[in-house]
Amino acid sequence: MSNNTAKASKHAKSESMWGYIMVAPTIIGLLALNIYPFLDTIKLSFSKTRPFGLYELRGIENYIQMFASAEFWRANLNTIYFCLLTVPIGIFLSLVVAVMLNTKIKGRTFFRAVFFLPMVVAPAAVAMVWKWIFNTEYGIINTILAHKVNWITDPGIVMVTCAIVAIWSAIGYDAVLLLSGLQNISKSYYEAASLDGATKVQQFFHITLPMVSPTLFVVLIMRLMSSIKVYDLIYMMIEESNPALTSAQSLMYLFYRESFVAGNRGLGSSVVIWTVALIGLVTIVQFWGQKKWVNYEV
Amino acid sequence: MKKLKNVLMLLAVSMLALLMSGCSKGSADGKTHLTFQIWDVNQRDGMQAVCDAYTEKHPDVVIEVQVTSWSEYWTKLEATAISNQMPDIFWMHTNEILKYADYGKIADLTDLYDSEDPEYYQKHFSEVSLSNVQGSDGRYYGVPKDKDTVGLVYNKEMFDAANVAYPTPDWTWDDLCEASQKIYDATGKYGYMAYGDDQLGYWNFVYQNGGYILAENNINGGFDNQATIDAMRFYMDLQKENWCPDQNYFAETSPGTAFFSEQGSMFFEGNWNILSEMNNYPNMIGKWDVAVLPKCPNPASGDGRATISNGLCYATSPTGKNYEIVKDVLRFFGSEEGQRIQGESGAAIPAYIGLESTWANVFDKFDYRLNVECFLDMFEYSVQSVNNKYRPTWKTKVTDSLLKIYSGQLSFEDGMKSMQDAINTAAEDD
Repeated sequence: MSNNTAKASKHAKSESMWGYIMVAPTIIGLLALNIYPFLDTIKLSFSKTRPFGLYELRGIENYIQMFASAEFWRANLNTIYFCLLTVPIGIFLSLVVAVMLNTKIKGRTFFRAVFFLPMVVAPAAVAMVWKWIFNTEYGIINTILAHKVNWITDPGIVMVTCAIVAIWSAIGYDAVLLLSGLQNISKSYYEAASLDGATKVQQFFHITLPMVSPTLFVVLIMRLMSSIKVYDLIYMMIEESNPALTSAQSLMYLFYRESFVAGNRGLGSSVVIWTVALIGLVTIVQFWGQKKWVNYEV
Repeated sequence: MKKLKNVLMLLAVSMLALLMSGCSKGSADGKTHLTFQIWDVNQRDGMQAVCDAYTEKHPDVVIEVQVTSWSEYWTKLEATAISNQMPDIFWMHTNEILKYADYGKIADLTDLYDSEDPEYYQKHFSEVSLSNVQGSDGRYYGVPKDKDTVGLVYNKEMFDAANVAYPTPDWTWDDLCEASQKIYDATGKYGYMAYGDDQLGYWNFVYQNGGYILAENNINGGFDNQATIDAMRFYMDLQKENWCPDQNYFAETSPGTAFFSEQGSMFFEGNWNILSEMNNYPNMIGKWDVAVLPKCPNPASGDGRATISNGLCYATSPTGKNYEIVKDVLRFFGSEEGQRIQGESGAAIPAYIGLESTWANVFDKFDYRLNVECFLDMFEYSVQSVNNKYRPTWKTKVTDSLLKIYSGQLSFEDGMKSMQDAINTAAEDD
């Protein structure tokens, strides 16, 4: 008997060892490429950095400098403005697209592919093409409008322009996620509702929306996070010589300019830590808020 | 179980072998392999030619020219400096040389030619060239490679259409504006395109007017100097003229693009771009030419002449394992022969005094011969490119203020103040 348990525990041990070996590649990758750099960033945010990786710990100096800089608050406002522009409209449009792609229309697969296409195109290419579309002198939009709107260089408009491109690039991906949520809704609900005389609109608000809300919640969290982190799009759309630069500078763009153009990695790191805190806060609020509108009962 | 252990062992060993093979720089042929890092793909052939000339005499050395784009070059070079794996030879730019020199990442090459001639540098390179390779301590951290100037590029057809005489060496700012107005009135094309650039823009005007961007001590800014302010105001106000596009336009269309798509008649261009523009716009050949920069008609001091002159150099790490051989290669790169080959390839104007015309002669091969000698004529009164150790820190802030003045978010006076502050505080923060 005792022999037996010993064997079993030996077996369990080897099994758990194999478990560790199997997850090792991911864990090691995570530790080396995410956790360690993150801890390092925290350390740098409290340091005065010098070229060639040298630094000395200086306490909260960087944070004081950061909170005192108008540029930083401007970047916060820009980022929040960008989120307000992209998240509600983007998610609403994705939902509309998802519902439409869920109906029986001709060439449904084709349309699904078309909407997903922006997701497979490199962001740099997307930005390049849109930059030409929005070009003041030769862009197709201004040609159609027969009006010279400074889409990319007017400080008041530039964020809207960036938001349009961001929404366009994200719709397909969000719609596909929402589509998978929609397809999990049993047809019988709709049948029962239509027998009771519910209109299509009523069906949408009373069946589709509550049933898809868990997926919607995931999409909302992801979209908001990536909107706060927006960088590549703005970097590609806005040249250094653009007079609207300060009106389009997001937090991550500010981080890039501080760290890699001005060479002040300490201050850049503080901006990153601030952004992480901001994302954390927003996500906590969302998890708290979801109790009120997300429906997990099937 | 045993089998599994063997398999794991095999895996581990093969991975180790893989790692090790990645590390060793197989020099199975018994030769010394050197790497040479540059950022300009247009100069690859020219650099290869210089290397070939060296390796022909030294068959035991192989030099590989590697090109990394400008935008990645500095991130990459700094990473190699941290991990002590710098390329054997690399280009160094005035923007960065002080940082690398002050932190001991590039070798002090002041004594490079001592065995040959202790006065070698002073004899063969101009003062501006030498100040471009100096560290904060005044020693030479690179072998001067080339030197450049900024000139005025103009569209002959548009001048003809507006019945305006081509720019002459006596041209002043007033002539520049007058010609611009006439061309705009006659053809509807833009005149001189003044945009938010430093080296190819306002720096030239500031120094022509007797102002300065950095004071004598090379630490404090010059944006509180009246001559600087006057020149800045003149330059920035040009965008208010109907013949000059505004900064919004330039954010989407560079002056070069506008010029070569025949939208504008004049802009300032560095000589290093001229050859590739001849090659890239073959149907424009014969329609345009170059001239010296117009001078300031009533400078606060000086004769109203100036052009910004920058220069690159060849540098190496002080800890490279092939240091002695590299030094020999660098000696050759800075020699009359090495510089001549560079000039003849059309890559750039050699820094070596007396070889400037080798670069100009490259333009003989085109059907229309540009007056590129004007770029050489300007060396006489050229001004060293603006630089100090803190430039990376203040550069972005000065640009931001400049753009805010252009877009009206900041008044001209406040803009000048914030530019001045940016330069001064950058030094204090250190």
